[in-house]
Amino acid sequence: MAKVVLLGTLVGVSIYVCVFLLAKGMYIPAAMPLIGAGLISYIFLSEKRYPLRWLVPGLLFLTVMVVYPIGYTFVSSFTNVGTGHMLGKEQALDQLLDRSYAPENAITYSFLAFANPAGDIALVLEGEGERILYTQGTASAIAVDDPRLVDEDGDGRPERFSNYARLSIPQLVPRLSDLEAYRIEYDNKIIGLQDLNEFRTRTPLYVYDAEAETMTDQQTGVVYAAMEGIFTSADGVEIYPGYKVSVGIRNYLALIRNPQISGPFAMVFGWTFAFATLTVLLNFALGLSTAILLNDPFLRFRTLYRVLMIIPYALPAFIMILVWRGMLNQHFGIINKMLVSAAHMIDYAVNYVAVNVFHTTAVLFGDVTKIPWLSNGMLAKASLLLLNLWLGYPYMMLICLGALQSIPASLYEAARVDGASWWQQFWKITLPLLLMPLAPLLIGAFAFNFNNFTLIWLLTEGRPAIAGATTPAGQTDILISYTYRLAFEGARGNQLGLAAAVSVMIFVVIATISAINFRLTGALEELSKNV
Amino acid sequence: MKRVTLALLGLLLIIGLAVTASEAGKLLIWADDTRTPIMLKVAEDFTAIYGVEVIVQEVDFGGIRGQLATAGPAGEGPDILIGAHDWLGELILNGLIEPIILTPAIVADFNPVAIDAFSWGNLLYGVPYATENVALVRNTDLVPEVPATFEELLTVAAALTDLEAGKYGFLIQEPDPFHTFALHTAGGGYIFGKDADGVLNPCDLGLDNEGSIAGAILLDQMVKDGIEIAGAGYNEVTGAFNAGDLGMMIGGPWTLPGAKAGGINYAVSAIPTINGNAPGVFVGVQGFMISAFSDNKVLANLFIKDFLISSDVMLGLYIEGDRPPAYLPALAFLAGNEDIQGFAAAAATAVPMPKIAEMGSVWSAWSAALELIVNQTQDPTTAMQDAAAEIRALLGCE
Repeated sequence: MAKVVLLGTLVGVSIYVCVFLLAKGMYIPAAMPLIGAGLISYIFLSEKRYPLRWLVPGLLFLTVMVVYPIGYTFVSSFTNVGTGHMLGKEQALDQLLDRSYAPENAITYSFLAFANPAGDIALVLEGEGERILYTQGTASAIAVDDPRLVDEDGDGRPERFSNYARLSIPQLVPRLSDLEAYRIEYDNKIIGLQDLNEFRTRTPLYVYDAEAETMTDQQTGVVYAAMEGIFTSADGVEIYPGYKVSVGIRNYLALIRNPQISGPFAMVFGWTFAFATLTVLLNFALGLSTAILLNDPFLRFRTLYRVLMIIPYALPAFIMILVWRGMLNQHFGIINKMLVSAAHMIDYAVNYVAVNVFHTTAVLFGDVTKIPWLSNGMLAKASLLLLNLWLGYPYMMLICLGALQSIPASLYEAARVDGASWWQQFWKITLPLLLMPLAPLLIGAFAFNFNNFTLIWLLTEGRPAIAGATTPAGQTDILISYTYRLAFEGARGNQLGLAAAVSVMIFVVIATISAINFRLTGALEELSKNV
Repeated sequence: MKRVTLALLGLLLIIGLAVTASEAGKLLIWADDTRTPIMLKVAEDFTAIYGVEVIVQEVDFGGIRGQLATAGPAGEGPDILIGAHDWLGELILNGLIEPIILTPAIVADFNPVAIDAFSWGNLLYGVPYATENVALVRNTDLVPEVPATFEELLTVAAALTDLEAGKYGFLIQEPDPFHTFALHTAGGGYIFGKDADGVLNPCDLGLDNEGSIAGAILLDQMVKDGIEIAGAGYNEVTGAFNAGDLGMMIGGPWTLPGAKAGGINYAVSAIPTINGNAPGVFVGVQGFMISAFSDNKVLANLFIKDFLISSDVMLGLYIEGDRPPAYLPALAFLAGNEDIQGFAAAAATAVPMPKIAEMGSVWSAWSAALELIVNQTQDPTTAMQDAAAEIRALLGCE
C-alpha cells in the first residue's frame, strides 16, 4: 500500500515538473522526469524486475549527476560557447529583431487604458491626428465622438469605453507588463509601449534574411553577415549578442597548435600527476603507520589518540585551507613567527654555552624569518603536499584501521611460528591484504586529487607566477585550475568551449589512468584467492 | 553524504530560483546583502502604492554577473539587478542587459564619471548609485601630517617600519593591480589607450610604457627598502591597520568600517605626488541595471526612475555601503564628511576601470608581474614587459 502511495506521489510530482518544464519550452529536460518515473514504477510493480529495485536509484543519480554533465561538457567542447556566444541562435535573433530605432517620422501616442470587469484591456491611442482603438488584439480607427466613449465630466478624457472603465495610474501600473507585450499593428506601423505615458511606433532596426543569414541595419543600410555565431559587417564591425555555433574540433586543435595553451601543458600535467600521486602515497603511508600504531592493543589512551587524529578530517577543509594560508604567510603568518622565536631560543642556548657564537641558526638555516612558504615555487608545492597530507591522512587512517581488523590474527600467528620478522609480516601479510580492499579507494583518492581545485585555488591560486612566462599558468597550477584560468582569465572574457575541451582531455586522462590501475590491482585479487 | 547534501542543496537552489523567476506583472530584484535592506524598503513603498509585488532576492555581489549569464537566458533571471560598471562589456556582449533612457535633466544630477562608466557607445546601461576609488588612508596617531610627496611618504614609512616587531609604515596590498595602478599612472602609464572616436583600443596597451615601468621600479625599490613586503594581501594589510600596527595604506571606502571598529583614528587623503606628478586611481561604479530578458522593462524603468533615483534611497545606500553616492543631490548632503572629501580628492585624477571584456587577461598577467616583483623573482622592467607581451599574445595583437 505504502508502495503505491509513494509511486503515485512520484508520478504526480514528475508530471508537475514535466508540465512546468514544457511551459518553459524545455522539451528534452521535460521528458526526463516522465521517463524516470515510468521506469521506476515499472520496476517496482513488476516482480520479474525485482533485483533492479536496488540498482535503479543509483543508476538514475549516476545519469543525472555524472553522465549528463559529462555529455554536456563533451557537446560544449565542440562549440564556441563563451563571452559573446552565450545565447542560442533563436534567442539572439529574437533579441536583435526586437531592437527598434526612431526614424524621423516616428509617431508618439498618448494613451488611455480601460478595463472591463473581466480584466480585458482596451486602449485608445492618440497622436499626430490619429486616434486608434486597440481591443481584443485588433486595432481600428475611432472617432472622437464615438458613442462608446463616455465623457461624463466633460474634461475631454472619457471615463468609460462601453463597459470598460478608465484605469487610473495606480490601476494602470500593475498592468504595464501586459501592455508592454502588445505589438499593435495599424496602418503598416507597429506600435509598442514606450513608458507609463506613451506608446511609440517601433521601426525594427534590423531585417533578417534567413536564406543568406544576413542582418541589414535599416538605419545605415549596413549588411552584417553571420560569421561563426556573430553578425559581422564587411569592415569587421560586430553586433551583439552573438550565439553558440559548432566549431568542430577547433577547440581541441587549439590545445595543440596555440603555443599559449600547449606551452605549459606538459609542465602543468607533470605537476598535476606528481601532486596526485605523491598525495596518495604520503597520505596512505602516514595513515597506515598511524593505523598500525593505534591498532596495537597495548597502546594506552587509544580512543583519545583516535579522536585527536580525526580532527583535521572532521573540520571543514574549505575553512582550514584558508586558515593555513594565513599561517603560512611569509611576514604575517604564525609559522614563520614561531620559527623566529625558536631560532632566538636556540641562539640564546648556544650563546649561553659558547659566548661568541652569534645568530647560529641564521648561519645554519638561512634567515628563518623570511621562509617564503607560498611565494617560492618549490616551497609552495611542498606546502600544498603537506597541507593535503594533514587534511587527508585521517581518512586513510580510518579506512586502514577498518581493513586491519579484517586480517585474521591466525595469519600472524602462523607467520610467527615460521619465524617471520615484523617487517616480513608487514610486507608479506599486512600490505598485500590491505591493498586488496583499499586499491579502489586509493584510485578514487588519486582521481579526486587530480582535480583538487579547491585546495589549489584556496591556498595558492596556482601561484607563484613563472618568470618570463607568456601564458597565465602559475607554478602550482594543476590541470583543472589551469583550465579555469584559460576559461575565465584568458583573452576576451570566458572561453567555455575551450575549457570544456580541456575538461574532456582531463576526463580521458583520469579514465585511462584509473582503468590501468584497476587492471593492475585486479591482479591482487588473484592473490587473495590463494589465502 | 556530502554529495547527497550538495545535490539536495543544488536542487533546492534550482527550485528556489524557478519559483522566484521573473514573471510578467511582478518585479524581481537581485541585490547583495548590503543593499538588500534598502531595496526591501523601496519595494514595500512600491507595492503599497501600486499593488505590484516586488521580490528582492539576495545574491552575493560577485556572483550576480555569473548567475545572470545562466539564469537570464533561461527565463529565471531578475528584472533589475545591481552590479559594477566593469561588468558592462561582458554583459552587453552576452546580450544580458538593456539600455536605460534617462532625460538629460536627470542625467545631469549624476556624477559625470559615473555616467561615463555606465555608458557604452551613446547608450546608458545602468543608473549609478555609488562610486568607489582608493586613496591614502593613514593612522593619524602614527602619521599626524599628510605627506606632501610620495618621497616624503616613503621616508615617514621607513621610520615607522620594524618588521621584527610587526610594525609597518606603508603597505599596498599585493599582488593587486587595482591598488598599484596609482604608481604606474603617475609617470604616464595606462592600460588601454583610446581610439580617435573615444573607444578603448585593446591593442594599444600601455602596461610596458615608460610610466608603467617607472611605477614597477618604484614598487621594486619599496620592496628592497623593506617597506613593502611579500604576502601582504587584503586581510593582512587591513588587519595590521585595524590593529594600529600600520601607519598608512592604499585603501578604499570598504576598509573604513574595520578601522572604525578597531578604534583607529584615521584620515583619508589623495595619494601624494610621485616625482611631482599626481597619480591616477581607478574608479569603480556600482549601479542598477535592467535584464534584457525581463518581461517588465517598463515597470522596471518606472521603479528605477521614480523610486530609486531619490536622495533618500541614495543616502540609504551610502549608509549601508559606505561608498560615496553617485547622485549629486545626495552627495551634497555629505559635503561635511571628511572621508568622502578625502576619497573625492583622490578621485580628482581618476579614470573609470576599463569595462571591456578583454580585461580578464590583463588582471591576471599584471598580477603575475606584480607578484614577481614583490617576491623579487624578476626585475621590474622585464616583469612588466613580459606581462604586456602575454596580454598582446592572448588578445591577438602582435
